[in-house]
Amino acid sequence: MGILRKEKKSAASSSSSTSPCSNLRAAYHTCFNRWYSEKFVKGQWDKQECVSEWQKYKACLAEHLEDKHLSRFLEAEGPMNSANLAGGVSK
Amino acid sequence: MVKAYRQEYTYKHPWERVTSASWRKFADPENKRTLSHILEVDTLNHKLDPDSGKLHTTRAITIHAPGPWFIRKIVGQDICHCVESTVVDGQSRSMQLTTRNISLQKFIEVEEKIRYDPHPENPDKWTICRQQTSIQIKPLSALASMAEKVEQRCAEKFVQNSAKGREVMERICKYLEAESSGIPL
Repeated sequence: MGILRKEKKSAASSSSSTSPCSNLRAAYHTCFNRWYSEKFVKGQWDKQECVSEWQKYKACLAEHLEDKHLSRFLEAEGPMNSANLAGGVSK
Repeated sequence: MVKAYRQEYTYKHPWERVTSASWRKFADPENKRTLSHILEVDTLNHKLDPDSGKLHTTRAITIHAPGPWFIRKIVGQDICHCVESTVVDGQSRSMQLTTRNISLQKFIEVEEKIRYDPHPENPDKWTICRQQTSIQIKPLSALASMAEKVEQRCAEKFVQNSAKGREVMERICKYLEAESSGIPL
């Protein structure tokens, strides 16, 4: 019994690690799924959509993602972002 | 020793619908009960190349993988973090997903590759899914002495879960089909 209880508890605590972001995550995924099936697969991939949903969700993840293994992947986007930023500044 | 196996499955739905379903597989709340081992899925990163029509995405998948008590005792946890990277090539119509565990790596390495392509016999209506999984217990880990048993158990679990995954995929495909033909659900 003890094992069972412990198992449940650990599952619950881990699943709540990014749960403060669950509304933002749902908003982004809903937007992404619609874009993917209504535009991307029809060849309309000229522009990325759901940008504001993504920015909000990502900001929340950056704050709540405790696992270092995972936050590394968020940070991996860094160079790409700074490149975009540099492009924006030079315009 | 590495345990590896392949599976192939044909969806009688077009590639566009099947890959849409693949994105929704873990996210739809109604599938949570079937895929109860998936605790959480977060998108960490994505990039669209507007010239080539290639979409790169990285997602974090948190899996609840309780093993037998003696393994739990050695490993110390029953939660495993995986990273899934996906490349969709809109031009050639292919989707490739690679999932690896990033936690518990000193004990075990699991890599799963899934590819969705238009079926060669009926490319506009069917989709072929090819799945390849490899499981390896680290030779120097505390699990090494029971490596074969653990790998076998792991493989069985994977087969069970991929059957559940297909069931969910079929359900979402049907839903998307109904939605696209305007049938109210």
